[in-house]
Amino acid sequence: MWGKKNRLSLVVFAVIVLLLVGSIFFLWMKANVEVRSIVEEQYQQQQLILTQYVSYSIGELLSERVLLLEVVAQKQQGVPDDQFMSEFETVYQVAEIYYVLEFIDANGTVVSGYPVEHVPQGYNLYSNNMSRAFEHVKNTGEVYVSEPVSTMEGVFGAYVWVPVFENGEFRGSILGIVSDENIISQFETSSDGRNYVYIVNDKGMILYDQSGTYEKGTSYFDYAENDDQQRLSILQAQMSGQMGNGKYWQETSEGDEYVLVSYSPVNWYNQRWSVGLTSLDDAVDDIILSVYVKLFTVAAVSVLFILFVSSQVYFILLNWNKSLETEVEKKTRELQQSNESLITANIKLKELDRLKNEFLSMVSHELKTPLTAMKTSSEFLLEEKCAPDVRKQLLALIVRNVDRQARLVDDLLDISRIESRRMKFNMENVSLHEALDHSLESIRRFSESKGVEIEVDMPASLPAVHADKDKLIQVFVNLLNNAVKFTPQGGKITVHAHRSGADVEISVRDTGIGIDPAYAERIFDKFYQIDNTSTRSAGGCGLGLAITKGLLEGMDSSIRVESESGAGSRFIFTLKAGAVSSIHSEVH
Amino acid sequence: MNTENIDQKILALMESNPHMTDAEIARSLGLDENAIRQRIDFLCDTREKILIVDEEIDASTALRLALESEGYNVIEALDGYEGIRKAKSENPDVILLDIMMPGMDGFEACQLLKADPALKHIPIIMLTAKGEVDDKVEGLELGADDYVTKPFNLKELKARIRMVLRRGAV
Repeated sequence: MWGKKNRLSLVVFAVIVLLLVGSIFFLWMKANVEVRSIVEEQYQQQQLILTQYVSYSIGELLSERVLLLEVVAQKQQGVPDDQFMSEFETVYQVAEIYYVLEFIDANGTVVSGYPVEHVPQGYNLYSNNMSRAFEHVKNTGEVYVSEPVSTMEGVFGAYVWVPVFENGEFRGSILGIVSDENIISQFETSSDGRNYVYIVNDKGMILYDQSGTYEKGTSYFDYAENDDQQRLSILQAQMSGQMGNGKYWQETSEGDEYVLVSYSPVNWYNQRWSVGLTSLDDAVDDIILSVYVKLFTVAAVSVLFILFVSSQVYFILLNWNKSLETEVEKKTRELQQSNESLITANIKLKELDRLKNEFLSMVSHELKTPLTAMKTSSEFLLEEKCAPDVRKQLLALIVRNVDRQARLVDDLLDISRIESRRMKFNMENVSLHEALDHSLESIRRFSESKGVEIEVDMPASLPAVHADKDKLIQVFVNLLNNAVKFTPQGGKITVHAHRSGADVEISVRDTGIGIDPAYAERIFDKFYQIDNTSTRSAGGCGLGLAITKGLLEGMDSSIRVESESGAGSRFIFTLKAGAVSSIHSEVH
Repeated sequence: MNTENIDQKILALMESNPHMTDAEIARSLGLDENAIRQRIDFLCDTREKILIVDEEIDASTALRLALESEGYNVIEALDGYEGIRKAKSENPDVILLDIMMPGMDGFEACQLLKADPALKHIPIIMLTAKGEVDDKVEGLELGADDYVTKPFNLKELKARIRMVLRRGAV
C-alpha cells in the first residue's frame, strides 16, 4: 500500500536532487566560460604588452644602430683616408645587426666595406641600375631605408642609406644591410612551437616569420583565404599601423583552433612595420586548467554533499513516514477495537432492553392472568345468580389464584433481590437431612396427590453443609416441585447426596419427561419454558429454576442438569461441607 | 365416525319418521343409544354457542360459569390448534380468543380462522392481558371484531358479546 506512494515520493525526491546537481553543473560550466573569457582577455592584454615591448625595442634598436652610422657619417668631415674602414669595423662589432657595411662614393661605386668578404668591391650602382635609393639620399640628404629584399648572397635584409657630405657637397653614401635574423637575435625570443613572432610591413610583405611557415619577401595575402575575414581584418589593422588584439580560426593538422594575435607597429625612418605575436588558444586553457580542476572539484564535492544530505533527509523522511504509518495503523486498530467493543456493547444493551421488555410483558401477563380469573369470578358472584356448588367452585378458584399471585410476587421479589445482589444469605452449618425433611413436608401433599414417589438416598454420616438453611429448603422445594410437576403418575423421584472431597454433591433425579440437551442451559433463564403447555398445565410461571440457580450461586455453589428428552432429568449441585457432622438420619 | 355425518343421518331419519324414538334411531344406525341421545340433545340445543380459547384454565372456567348462567352454550379450547378444531366441529356463534398462548398464538389463530371461508363469518373477540395500542390494531387488522383487555369487566364483556352476536344476526 505505502510502497507505491513511497516510490512516487522517491521519484519526486530524485528529480529534485537531479535538478540540484544539474544546476550545480550548469553553474560550473558557466563559471568556466566566464573565467575563460576573463583569462583570455587578460592573456591577450599581456601578449599585447609583450608585443608593444618587442616592437618598441626593435624600433629603438634599429634607430639606435642607424644613428651609429649617422654619427660615423657626420663625425668625419668628408671621407677619411681609409674610406671608413676602421669606423665600419667598430660599428659592425658594436651594432651586431649589420650583415655588411659599405661605402659608395659619389659615382655610385662600392669603394670599401666590412667585412671584406661580403663587399662587392667596384660594383657600380648606376651600371647595375640599382641607383634609385642612392639618388634619393643624394637629393634629400636624409637617411633612407629601402624595402627589404634578398641580397645577391641570399641574405634577406633592409638597406639603410646614410648620406655623407663634406662642406655641403655630396661625397657618397654609407650602406648598411640589416639582416632580419640579426635583429631578432638581439632579443632572447624562443618559440615552443605554439607562440611565434612575425613582422610585416605596410604593404603586407612578410619580413620575418619565426614559425617558418611563410617565406620572407612574399605577401601575406598569398596565405590568407579570401573568406578568412578575421585574419584579413587583423592584417589590415597591422598595415595601417594600429595596435591591438585579434583572433582567427585556423585549420591545422592537429585539429582546428583559434589563434590569438597581438600586434604593434614599428616606425623606423620611412619604414612602417608591424610586429605580430601569435599564440594558440590552447595556451589559455593550459593556464586555467587548474582552475577548471578546482571548480570541478568544488562542484563534485557539492554534488556529493547534496547526494549525502538528500539521502539522509530521504531516509529520515522515510523513517518518519514509516513510524507515522505505524502510528496511524495502531490508532486505526485501536479505533476499530473500541468501535467493535462499542458495537458489541450496543448489541448487548439492545438485547438487555429486549429482555427487559420481554420480562415486563411476561410479568404483566403473569400478574393479569390470575387477576382476570379472580375478577371474573368475583363479579359473577356479586351477580348472585349462581348455584351453591358453582359458588364454592368460584371461591376455590379465587383462593387458588390469590395463592398463585402471592407466589408470583414472592418469586419476583426473590429474582429482583438475586439480580440486584440484595439477597442476604445467613451462612451456617446446616444439616442436609433436616433441610430436606422440611422440604419434603411442604411438597408431600402435591406429590401424593399426583402419585409420585420420593426416595431419599443419603448416608447418615454425611457432614453438615455450609449454607443458608431457608434458602437451601427453598432450593429443595423448587427442585422437588419441578420434578413432581414433570413426572407422570407412578413415577419416582430420588434425592441423592454423597461426599466428594471437601464438598457434598446433591442430586435430584426424576423419571419425568426429561429435557432436550439443546435447551439444558436455557431452562435456568427467567420465564424460559421449553413447552409452555406442560408448564401451564403444571402451574408456575418460569421463575423457579432461575431463583434456584441464583440462590445456589449466592451460596458459592452452582447447578447443572443432566438429561435426555423422555428419559428423566437429574439436577446436580454441590455445597461445601461444614465443620459439624450430622447425626440425623432418616430414610423416606 | 364423523359426528356431522351422524347428525345428518339422524336428521334424515327424523324427517322421514317424526315419531321415531331414540332407541329406534340408534338401532337403525347401529350405534349406542346414549351417543344418539347426546347428539340429539346437541342438535336440540338452541342456545347461542360461545367458544373460549384460553390457555388459563381458571380464567376460562370462571368465564364459562358466568356465561353459562347467562344462557350461553360455552365450550373451551386450551390453545390455537384446539380452538380452530373446535370452531370447525362446533360451529360457535362467537369466539373469545386469548392472544398469549403456547404453540399457536391468538393472532395466528385469528388469521387462520378469518382465512377459512367456512369459519370467517364467526365473530371474534380478542381477549388478552396485552394492552398495547399496537396489539389492538394488529388484532383488529387481522379481522377480529372486538378487543377486550384483561382483566375485563364481566358486564362489559357480556355487553360486547351481545353486540357482536346482534351484529352477526343482522
